[in-house]
Amino acid sequence: MKPKIGIFGLSGCWGEQIVILNCEDQIPDILGATEIVDFLGGSSRNDEESPLDVAFVEGSVANAREEKQLRRIRERARLLVACGTCACHGGVAAMDADQPREAVVCQVYGTGGPAAAWDIRPHRPLADFVKVDAAIPGCPMEKDEFLRATANILNGDLPLLPAYPVCLECKMKENDCLLIARGLPCAGPVTVAGCGARCPGYRVACIGCRGPVEESNIESLQKILVEKELRAEEISRKLRTFAAPTLDRNRQGGLA
Amino acid sequence: MTQTITVDHIARVEGHGGIRVVLDGNEVREVAFDVFEGVRLLEGLVRGRSLEDVTGIVSRICAICSHGHSITSLQALENALEIETTPQTRKLRDLAYQGANIESHALHVFFLALPDLLGHPSVISLAGVNPEAVAMALRLKKLGNTIQEIVGGRAVHPVNYILGGFGRVPETEELVALQQEILARRADCARVVEILRSVKVPEFVRAPVRCAALAPEDDAFFFGDRIVVSDERGTIPVSEYRSLTNEYLVPHSHAKRSAHDHRSYMVGALARLTLNGRYIGGLAREAWEELGLALPSDNILMNNVAQAIEMIYSIERALHLVSALLETGVAEEAPPSYRARACRGAAATEVPRGILFYSYELDEQGRVAAADVITPTAQNLSHVEDQMRAAARAGAVAGVPHDVLAQRLTVIARAYDPCISCSVHLVRR
Repeated sequence: MKPKIGIFGLSGCWGEQIVILNCEDQIPDILGATEIVDFLGGSSRNDEESPLDVAFVEGSVANAREEKQLRRIRERARLLVACGTCACHGGVAAMDADQPREAVVCQVYGTGGPAAAWDIRPHRPLADFVKVDAAIPGCPMEKDEFLRATANILNGDLPLLPAYPVCLECKMKENDCLLIARGLPCAGPVTVAGCGARCPGYRVACIGCRGPVEESNIESLQKILVEKELRAEEISRKLRTFAAPTLDRNRQGGLA
Repeated sequence: MTQTITVDHIARVEGHGGIRVVLDGNEVREVAFDVFEGVRLLEGLVRGRSLEDVTGIVSRICAICSHGHSITSLQALENALEIETTPQTRKLRDLAYQGANIESHALHVFFLALPDLLGHPSVISLAGVNPEAVAMALRLKKLGNTIQEIVGGRAVHPVNYILGGFGRVPETEELVALQQEILARRADCARVVEILRSVKVPEFVRAPVRCAALAPEDDAFFFGDRIVVSDERGTIPVSEYRSLTNEYLVPHSHAKRSAHDHRSYMVGALARLTLNGRYIGGLAREAWEELGLALPSDNILMNNVAQAIEMIYSIERALHLVSALLETGVAEEAPPSYRARACRGAAATEVPRGILFYSYELDEQGRVAAADVITPTAQNLSHVEDQMRAAARAGAVAGVPHDVLAQRLTVIARAYDPCISCSVHLVRR
């Protein structure tokens, strides 16, 4: 029997579902190897009850309805894969802001009015509510990483994702270092790899969209930042744009 | 006695939305297109961020229109800072928009809308009976993505767009390969027309479609600084876009609504062809004639046909732009110089689903003091409800069973290609 798959989106930009649909060359193979039984974004006839072998979930949890939906997906699924930075780390909707969320709500929707009755909570990553078996970060997740992870899972393995920084991929590509050569606040040294150092390849400093790497040489980075007359906050602000909940949980030293 | 028709969660649209219609005999008491996507408050959250950071954050409003969000954001900043763009930058941005339009329309026409018209729950089941059509749709979609990757550095959430231009301009070899690929895909256009011709677009809703679109600047169909509206003489400058959109809130939706002179309007492919059809020539014009799309139309479902015509337009336009770029050669250009200062600016472009508005207010250090984003879907929500009201009333009078009526209402919602994730990020007045 082909493994049963579900694809779900919580609050977010639909980016991971678009990345899955962007696997134009592999979609026929994926459809051949699996049975996609629950995918509201792609089908108006879904099986919302049966157990799933794998559930791919994108987006962050922003309200009680989504929390309930996520718990239900967890009950059904043998493996739950968090797809994208929102699902893994909270994403941009969970970013640090200069003022409390209530004030931002008033700013965006005005005071009084219907917005006062809405269930607006801080956005949280999936792991704050349920067990996550595998996490593919990235804003959006990279197509190659999704395909590799899917192939691993279909073969009975859990995916192995990079535990080193974007900086390493950038060096392997022999890009000019934006931090050292051009003095730009690049988040590559503290951001987890997997994108092939996409932004630096375009001479654009990394913005940290994949979330923090577990081990990074913060001391050396801080030394370079001082040399280049850059402030550490410029880097930590980038990381906290995409992964504030994870950084708060880990409370990792120095920059975060 | 009243009866309620509900669709809890509309399938095959981007984001989370539902429908609730209350009927009292043949009278429609209430129509609500509920948007319950979690609010993300991005326009509020970017306050205080530097003008260099903001574009990379707002692009995350929407995946499928992320190139449009990035470029419109940059154009609003450029407008504020009085940065002039070069012809090369304008051509490359135009090219990216054609890629986005091809990708987005291929996805919507073939993967999200066509299953309705052919009676399938999804494209997966459609692939079972017509694998060749699905393979072609995938090829076209891929072409759109390839264009976006070459210009923007990534298909979803581009990385290469910066103030005034690009981190790195495409290499000549990339453009030559792209030219070949577009030429190869151009042959698929006849097949697109053939498939669309075989489809009978339902006529269960007949109601006037009031349109708004940007007046194209020269021959750039998706760019302009004035807005045209169906029944109005004269145009509205983009800098005064709030007089078009007039946003208001309703309790059942996390997205704001728009009304112009207290009446709803529609933006998107059908609106563009209705108002600016004279700019369409070549293969797209031939396709238009073969498909017999008469405009203005009072059948909103024709938006799907308009998208197919526009997709063909974008394939030809992309070819034209790539050839023009190869002819002049693509060169690295110096980044623009500007001075951070207190200023404000606005911009609008036509993204696949319609007009996208951006405006910024910057403080003296170049930080965002206020941001305003109005997406096409947000503008369309009131129009969707008006069309649903018309369909519900016609259905009730004709005694259409409620399950059929519910299905019709979802087909109407889907015809607009709504992007609900996009619509919940609207901004303070």
